[in-house]
Amino acid sequence: MQDNITKILKAISDPTRRELFHALVIAATALPITQVSAQFNITRQGITKHLKTLENAGLITITTSGRERFCKAEAAPLQEVKNWVSFYEKFWDTKLDQLGDFLDQKE
Amino acid sequence: MKDIISKEQLFNHPIQKVWDAITNQEQISTWFIPATFKAEKGFQYSFNAAGGECSPIRGEVLEATPYTLIYSWIVTENPMETIVKWVLEEVEGGTKLYLEHSGISNYHGETAIEMFQSFNGGWDNCLTGLSGYLKDIVHAG
Repeated sequence: MQDNITKILKAISDPTRRELFHALVIAATALPITQVSAQFNITRQGITKHLKTLENAGLITITTSGRERFCKAEAAPLQEVKNWVSFYEKFWDTKLDQLGDFLDQKE
Repeated sequence: MKDIISKEQLFNHPIQKVWDAITNQEQISTWFIPATFKAEKGFQYSFNAAGGECSPIRGEVLEATPYTLIYSWIVTENPMETIVKWVLEEVEGGTKLYLEHSGISNYHGETAIEMFQSFNGGWDNCLTGLSGYLKDIVHAG
């Protein structure tokens, strides 16, 4: 499975998929696909397609247990992007402050 | 979710002075990170943070025409390349600086994790150390 951040961003660019993913994050546990599709006003086929896209992006995992298929949110990939952004947000804030101080000193 | 960092800051200083601060090797080394740098397209620069435990940053100057400066940003030990872009604009009362850091989306998640871990270990400490150092200089001066 490719765990590409571009895929993640594309996967969550669709509002339905965002909602699906959100529902699974809130659930915080594996949910049967039948239960998930009951919550959404889309065909079972449509749900399956969206879930596949989320699965390909590494955002959810789908497992089969008995006759039922379960899906579960994997939030770690999103955390990666968030970590990168928050690290550099802080980095550049600090640096631009230093640039300001430097310019003020250099009258 | 956003994957671009954008900053906007106003400095009460002439545009040429701000431009010099972000392009001149000696000045970059004073306020940013000790640098080997030339504002010339194609120049392979390096930023060497204080202390041996910090990963140096290197990259190539992609554009350097007043008042736009773009360079690639590679943390050594990690193949991941992101892009840093500085744009200056003359405004009433000084200079507006736009900074953009982008490119995380081009990479595989695992690489991103690795990169971030290397930051956690070294870079945060380096930053704290560096700002302390700069504060000392300012207070001493």
